[in-house]
Amino acid sequence: MSAYAVATHGLSKRYGGETALDRVDLRVPDGAVYVLVGANGAGKSTTLRVLMNLVRPDSGTAEVLGMDTGRRGAEVRAQVGYVPDGRNPAYPRMTCGRLLQHVAIFYPAWDAAYAGDLMRAFDLQADRRVGTLSKGEARRLHLVLALAHRPPLLLLDEPTDGLDPVVRRTALALLAEHIADTPTTVLISTHQIHEVESLADHVGVLRAGRLTAQMSRDELQRTVRRYRVEVPEGWKPPPELRVAGLRRSSTGREIQWTLVGEEREVVERLTLAGGRVREAKPLTLEDAAVAFLTEEVTG
Amino acid sequence: MLVNLDPHDARPLYLQIMDEVRRALVVGTLRPEDPLPSVRELASELVVNPRTVLQAYRELEREGVVYVRRGQGTFVAPDVHSGRQERLALGREVAKRALLEARRSGLGVEELLTFIREVAAEEEGEPSPAVSAANPGDEE
Repeated sequence: MSAYAVATHGLSKRYGGETALDRVDLRVPDGAVYVLVGANGAGKSTTLRVLMNLVRPDSGTAEVLGMDTGRRGAEVRAQVGYVPDGRNPAYPRMTCGRLLQHVAIFYPAWDAAYAGDLMRAFDLQADRRVGTLSKGEARRLHLVLALAHRPPLLLLDEPTDGLDPVVRRTALALLAEHIADTPTTVLISTHQIHEVESLADHVGVLRAGRLTAQMSRDELQRTVRRYRVEVPEGWKPPPELRVAGLRRSSTGREIQWTLVGEEREVVERLTLAGGRVREAKPLTLEDAAVAFLTEEVTG
Repeated sequence: MLVNLDPHDARPLYLQIMDEVRRALVVGTLRPEDPLPSVRELASELVVNPRTVLQAYRELEREGVVYVRRGQGTFVAPDVHSGRQERLALGREVAKRALLEARRSGLGVEELLTFIREVAAEEEGEPSPAVSAANPGDEE
């Protein structure tokens, strides 16, 4: 199998006049916990649906666990634990316990004992009818369904959406334990990066259908810095830095600029351009991702 | 062992975990031959990727702070005497942070040292009740 659990090639999708995905090349390394960040409507759910072959792309292909998902959708779905975006599980009249039994049949690897543990940890009763669950309870049930067959790939679309802070923590702690116990790759989409960032070892930023950044946590933290630079009046930033620039603001003769690149080179360039670097501050994963999300296109 | 991660700390998470272990050694909540929490436990407690915990433990092992007993887990090395090495590493870490802050504000090293001594002397003169209540007998 390839080094990527998920790889897409030039994935594009339009709904009417709206661009949902624009030539997305997603690369999720085998065994990674990849967090796909983006605002609502940036294309996160569409991406995950394409990976599940629930939506057909207009162009481009997607490989999931080494399989072309467009051709082998059923096989892909059998090996993926999927938490869909904001929808209640099917079969509203079934009890939760009956639904688990029903789903178990489709997965040879279904771990009934584990499913029971997860139900207890999530405080879900087997005799409740699926249709009576609250949004947060339905989300938890989806997580049980996704985790209990210990799939080699988890696709979690906004898994913490609608969970209160305590339950969210429980859910993420269970996910951390799951990752420790089960060899798996996890792709999590979220518009709330701070909720899941501590689990991430890879990050992708999706903005209006385009993947504007994709890198490992280490690389992101090494290469994104917020610089404070003293500059002469009327200073114009050099073009080669503008390409690497994300967010810029200024007060008096000092500018604050988030830039991507090796710190030494960036400082050298800023200095050559007449600036005096006062500080190069590393960013938290959240701040770095936000910088990519709010990047100034014109520079 | 109590481990706390600061979401506003931009340093890599495995370094923060390593520091917390060092801190536990320095203050004595962890002693030679004590077991560390399992990777699974700590990952769950901190809600971090288990690989991050593993990376922290591996680095600590490489530094000789902990060792792995196969099938039993990770333990504090027997020869970590009162965490002298850790005190050094921790002290340097604190100094680095203070320096960074000072530079941001345009202060030089000597100035910073002067201010630290001044403020420390003031605090000794009139100990704040919160601090002395939290650390009784902690005077070195």
